[in-house]
Amino acid sequence: MIDLVDKQLLKEVLDQALQSGGDFGDIFLEHKKTTAIRCEAGKIEKIQTGVDVGAGIRIISGEATAYAYTNDLSRAGLLNVAGIVSHAAAGGRKNVNLDLTEVQPLVDFTFKERPEDVSTDRKVAVVEAADQAARAVDPARIKQVIVGYGDVVQQVTIANSEGDYVEDERIRTRLVAQAIAVSGAAMQTGYEAVGSLSGFELFISEQPSLVGEAAARQSVNMLEAQPAPAGRMPVVIAGAAGGTMVHEACGHGLEADLVQKGLSVYAGKKGQAVAAKEVSVVEDPTLNVRYGSYRFDDEGVPSRKVTLIEDGVLTNYMYDRLTAAKDATQSNGHGRRESYQHKPVPRMGNTMIAPGKTDPAKIIRETRTGLLVKKMGGGQVNTTTGDFVFDVAEGYLIKDGEAGPRVRGATLTGNGPEVLRIVEMVGSDLGFTIGTCGKDGQGVPVSDAQPTIAIKELIVGGTATGPSNGKIRRI
Amino acid sequence: MNTEASAMISTARAAVAQATNKGAQVAEAYICKAKELNIEVRGGLVETMKLAEDSGLGLRVIRDGKTGFSFTSDLNPAGVDEATGQALVNCRKISEDPYQRLPKPGNAYEKLDIYDPGIRGATVEQKIELARSMEEAARSYDRRVKVIESSNYQDGEALVTIVNSHGMELSYHGALCGVYLALAAGEGDDSQTGFALDYTLKYDRLKPAEVGREAARRAIRMLGAAPVTTRHAAVVLDPYVATGFLGLLAPALTGEAVQKGRSLFAGKLGDQVASSKLTAIDDGALPGGIASAPFDGEGVATSRTVLIEKGVLKGYLYNTYTAAKDGVQSTGNGVRNSFKGTPEVGITNFFFEAGTEPVEKLLSEIKSGIYVTEVMGMHTANPISGDFSVGVAGLLIENGELTRPVRGMAIGGNILDFLANVDGVGNDLKFFGGRGSPTLRVAEITISGQ
Repeated sequence: MIDLVDKQLLKEVLDQALQSGGDFGDIFLEHKKTTAIRCEAGKIEKIQTGVDVGAGIRIISGEATAYAYTNDLSRAGLLNVAGIVSHAAAGGRKNVNLDLTEVQPLVDFTFKERPEDVSTDRKVAVVEAADQAARAVDPARIKQVIVGYGDVVQQVTIANSEGDYVEDERIRTRLVAQAIAVSGAAMQTGYEAVGSLSGFELFISEQPSLVGEAAARQSVNMLEAQPAPAGRMPVVIAGAAGGTMVHEACGHGLEADLVQKGLSVYAGKKGQAVAAKEVSVVEDPTLNVRYGSYRFDDEGVPSRKVTLIEDGVLTNYMYDRLTAAKDATQSNGHGRRESYQHKPVPRMGNTMIAPGKTDPAKIIRETRTGLLVKKMGGGQVNTTTGDFVFDVAEGYLIKDGEAGPRVRGATLTGNGPEVLRIVEMVGSDLGFTIGTCGKDGQGVPVSDAQPTIAIKELIVGGTATGPSNGKIRRI
Repeated sequence: MNTEASAMISTARAAVAQATNKGAQVAEAYICKAKELNIEVRGGLVETMKLAEDSGLGLRVIRDGKTGFSFTSDLNPAGVDEATGQALVNCRKISEDPYQRLPKPGNAYEKLDIYDPGIRGATVEQKIELARSMEEAARSYDRRVKVIESSNYQDGEALVTIVNSHGMELSYHGALCGVYLALAAGEGDDSQTGFALDYTLKYDRLKPAEVGREAARRAIRMLGAAPVTTRHAAVVLDPYVATGFLGLLAPALTGEAVQKGRSLFAGKLGDQVASSKLTAIDDGALPGGIASAPFDGEGVATSRTVLIEKGVLKGYLYNTYTAAKDGVQSTGNGVRNSFKGTPEVGITNFFFEAGTEPVEKLLSEIKSGIYVTEVMGMHTANPISGDFSVGVAGLLIENGELTRPVRGMAIGGNILDFLANVDGVGNDLKFFGGRGSPTLRVAEITISGQ
């Protein structure tokens, strides 16, 4: 670990920040090293690396938050920032605990091959392998391949006025491939991404060539797809599609800040049935090396598994310290932030619909007719109402209980909370997708997952608006 | 030049010298030092106050036609040393490209009024009061204004320095400030949201009460909105919505998109691509423009580029690299989002030029139509083909009058056909940050509803 600032100075800084009052104060120090490699048109276009170091200091007084940051980590720089935030508090100095005792995590992760120890050549080789495999799928029709590699080594130190002290390290690695296939006037895109809370060992379990191939195959396959039908119909969402829907259309509504502001359909519903009995929704940042996993959240609270919906009943929300205090409870380890430049807010890590007992093949068999969604695209979600529209990146018609012809241009329209109530079967499988979740202008790494589920019916729109850009917009 | 700027120049100079010593044939150091204040008021109380200070260096090196880049927020000698070394390591595996180069010095730079000391001069208390007065103006506009989601004041300033090994040494100091208000109005079960914003270079030009009332007005007038039947009618886009459509064109007007085959304007120079009433301009030196600066992210003087003139495609935006590839001059559009990135082709102050007609006149000539004030799903439009399909809401126009609110309607088609049908341009050019548009009227199109 890089020793960012010594403990004694942290005590002094917190002491200074809390001199004129405040119920809670903390400091978040961060050292982040990043690598990004981009390949387009078969050329390595960019290799960019960087170091960003800084500290954010926060004082909470009542419901007000004062936050300031700097990347001057000298004694004078930190004390200056502490002085700035202290002006925002009033009422005189309160009793605070500045013991700074090391907090123990509930889960641990080990990194095997640190990105700093891997040569640029090997990272480039991963990108080239994905690029070449994608092109090889159909050299005539694959017109464009874009591959991106990224790694992040983030070291943080967190200390607060409750006497907590945490040092943590998060290493994340990802590989993303995008392919465009063209045939006549038809153009289709394919997308695949892998990533985890690990170093370069990610590529032991995830072969780069398979990532490129998957993106390319998807784009080529969709060229031959027929236009999707429109109307209400049963929909099976395969585990392979990942949990984008549960994350966007339900997960955000279970974040305590949105609940407390009255911006969530789940406000005031604790203990009530909000989903079908078959449905349990779990948020678990302790999962072994998933992209949204972490040992401590960004307020130094040990991560833990939180059951949000159990057998259809709403059991809990995701809390950070501020929202937990408002509800007179404890943070459950979901206060996250993008960097030292941001104050923490309640966020997801790895969100999923828990697997059930039904064989996924049986779910398709019993659905008889409908739409099978193998991969989700971009979409738009109103987090206040849960209304969503998603593009189906890879879809198939289900006929006589079998996955039949591919369809393109389908969109799913529905309401997240409503969908959870009409889930009819839950599979025994579990598929993950990864992404960067944006909220309040902050992006954090997340993963989401779901088993194969059968939904009684959704509105399927059959008019394609063109290739999806894979982005989800929340309003 | 103040002492802060000269200290940055010498850090940048040292970084460039170090990079060339380590083997770079050409090198460039970009340093940005920024300050930011953000105040969020709710119910008259400060909910969040955020103060930021950060600085960093972005280092670009070229060796044998290969460009490497690295950045650091550590401007101490050790941090700079690591960055220069890393940039050179990074260029090793890059594909060779003969068009990679850095701009030469000798540009003439405009003197721009982009630093108002009044922004830093105003006290935090005055700024809090400003956000409070905006919230109050919104609340007192109408008792149906129920929830103020946030009432924000923001300001920021930046000191930017660029030094390159061709002898370029530049710096400027810029500042801006702004207010933003989002709220919800309610009546019975109906709830409608509204917002307004205003960003400017001059502190004393902020009009918080006006912004507060505007946000309230936008929400209140939508109360009771309902879909109407599908119709073939005119649409009038208010400046905010028109600016959203303008935004769809931005990526397609970059030299990069054209060169990579991702632009719907590729190969159309000199063609009529929009209504003869439309002129689209990017002007990085626009007086009073939020995105104005004397030079771009690689030191090229900013300029006024007429992209579409009276509907005819006149040109594209370029940075130094894409300009070299096309054998033209950079338009000064090498835009950096921060010290953490390379200068990529992007817009500065980008707008449709104002027309001559008052909005009332544009509306009065319409027998049946919709005045569109909100659009949903603009980001799903395909920037390569120009196809779009969006939800719209706004006010019904009947016999030249705005009669009642409508929502749940949809329009779609291709952006080029859409812009070809513009038959009226208002005299009310309004900016939303760096982008702006006057009110646009589009001749009859299909508006899907019930």
